Amino acid sequence: MGHKHLKFLGVVAAAMVFSLACGGSSGGGGGTPAKTYKIGLVTDIGGLNDKSFNHLAYVGLQKAITDFKIKGDVVESKSGDDYVPNLTNFASKGYDLVIGVGFLMQTAVGTVSGQFPNVHFAIIDGAGTDANGNDLKHANVESLFFKEQDAGAMVGVIAGWLEKNGQAKKNKGVISAVGGVSIPPVNHYIAGYKWAAAMEDPGIKVLVGYSNDFTDPAKCKGVAQSQISQNSDILFQVAGGCGLGVLQAAGQASLYSIGVDADQKDADPSVIASALKKVDVATYTAIKLVVNGQFTGGAQTFSIANGGAGYSPDNLNVPSALQTELDKVEGEIKNGTLTPPADIPA
Amino acid sequence: MTALGDILHLLFTANLWQAALAAAVLLLLPALGGVISERSGVVNIAMEGMMLTGAFFAVVANLAWHNVWLATGVAMLSGALMASIHAIVSIRFRADQIVSGIAINIFAAGLTVFLVNRIYGVQDIGHVGQSELLPNINVPGLDQIPFFGKVLFQQNVIVYVALILLVLMHLLLFRTRLGLRIRSVGEHPQAADTAGINVYAIRYGAVITSGLLSGLAGAFLAIGVSNTFVPNMTDGRGYIALAAMIFGKWTPFGAFVACLIFGLGQAIYDNNSIIHVSPYLLSMLPYLLTLVVLAGLVGRSTPPAADGLPYVAGSE
Repeated sequence: MGHKHLKFLGVVAAAMVFSLACGGSSGGGGGTPAKTYKIGLVTDIGGLNDKSFNHLAYVGLQKAITDFKIKGDVVESKSGDDYVPNLTNFASKGYDLVIGVGFLMQTAVGTVSGQFPNVHFAIIDGAGTDANGNDLKHANVESLFFKEQDAGAMVGVIAGWLEKNGQAKKNKGVISAVGGVSIPPVNHYIAGYKWAAAMEDPGIKVLVGYSNDFTDPAKCKGVAQSQISQNSDILFQVAGGCGLGVLQAAGQASLYSIGVDADQKDADPSVIASALKKVDVATYTAIKLVVNGQFTGGAQTFSIANGGAGYSPDNLNVPSALQTELDKVEGEIKNGTLTPPADIPA
Repeated sequence: MTALGDILHLLFTANLWQAALAAAVLLLLPALGGVISERSGVVNIAMEGMMLTGAFFAVVANLAWHNVWLATGVAMLSGALMASIHAIVSIRFRADQIVSGIAINIFAAGLTVFLVNRIYGVQDIGHVGQSELLPNINVPGLDQIPFFGKVLFQQNVIVYVALILLVLMHLLLFRTRLGLRIRSVGEHPQAADTAGINVYAIRYGAVITSGLLSGLAGAFLAIGVSNTFVPNMTDGRGYIALAAMIFGKWTPFGAFVACLIFGLGQAIYDNNSIIHVSPYLLSMLPYLLTLVVLAGLVGRSTPPAADGLPYVAGSE
């Protein structure tokens, strides 16, 4: 099949997507006489209601719409097959920046960014890659990565400190984490958590389990209940929608839990803190670079040091001694004295 | 091997069996629905979609009216509505029943996500308060029996309901006149029709019952085990239930045994934080255990003779 055919197919696919995508939510545009930038956001299969990174990307886009008077449009992907057509749709219609949300869109961003070298692309949690996952290093692609271990370390300090000082519920020296699947973004969080908890309380035992799932709260609840029967006192969920079951299990057992990605204090009264991955900040930053004409491509990493990762204390009155410790550790991670590991310590 | 030792140790804990029974019930309800539907001659692979619909409407209704029983009723009704689509398409219009079932499953997945967006925007759906969930009930006295008390009598109300429904379904199918009619319609509709049985009415009733049961399973999942709706939260349980029904040779108790084995595998997997083996390997366990035990013991499994064949009155 020749290039012309491929191109024709691409146009047809784009047209189909356009006709299908009309139901997608869209933000208001600005009315300034100067150039109105157009930003397109493509979610992965999690969709806007994932209470996690797709949702946060949308929040970042909304903030940028308000601040920069830009036009922002969103399309939700229903399956992995939608990524390329959805990205192509925005790119072919003269959008200034097309944002792909999530590691799963790496190959699609790699493909489409090659076809539209004059359009800016940004991707959360990944790069523009070929089918084998090799970074194509297209100059028009900005990769937005996160140091999840920074956020994990902060909530690890809270868990370890409470346990050491007997201010948790059972205080038997056991805490735990429930991961969705054993993949890097999940394990970064757990690595920071375990490392920091051991730093606060060297004798602490940290159980690590996986639910093998990101959408079914019942699965994560089962793993959490097993950990609770092993005396786990504070449970950290790193499993998206599935992990809501962890927060609930902790609440039902009158224990403490820790949320992930977004602030999850409303999910359950047991949530004492959340580890934050500020996808909204990353999205906003990428848009700002384009609007200010400072887009350079390449990789950006968001961490505690630049405000792209962090924690929020939730349904807990943080004792002042703990707050002092948190501020100290946060400062030391910022200035590089402490470096939370990316791999889960033994 | 330490992993095997860990698992053996777990098998003697009441916690494990308590979790296994609860996990099994999530499969048993749709499996019972499949049994009655297919016994009447309508192939039903739409339990997944009906359960998901039930889960969604259970949460919506509970958040709106703050009444868990009303919400459970709404969930069952929504499952029944989905089932009636399947019934009309496959009984009235005699469409391919597999295709109709797949369509229902895809439709339910899309519909629930669409409605989440319409009703709640991109905000959090919200969580059902602890006091408004389907309650756990300890049966007084019996729950104090060592080991078995915890496994059998410290469970969610839906677990008891499901076990009663299991017995009732067995009695209905094999001890009542109506059950005989349902089975005869599934085996030989022409003969049943000649004997004066309304084939269509029986089939509609059976398929809609499967929707009620799957909707109940959805309610148990969303407002019993969990406290919110997450898109695609049923996670393939409807399909596992389908397999359990087949392994159970289209009988209620057979399906229950299959569900229990699967539930046991799931409960063992849930302990992967303390079993010293790769979680990937362990995640195969529910499926592997079900396959090995059932393929080894069950042998040939034959569906009702007229299963999947639309009935045309007066045809040979």
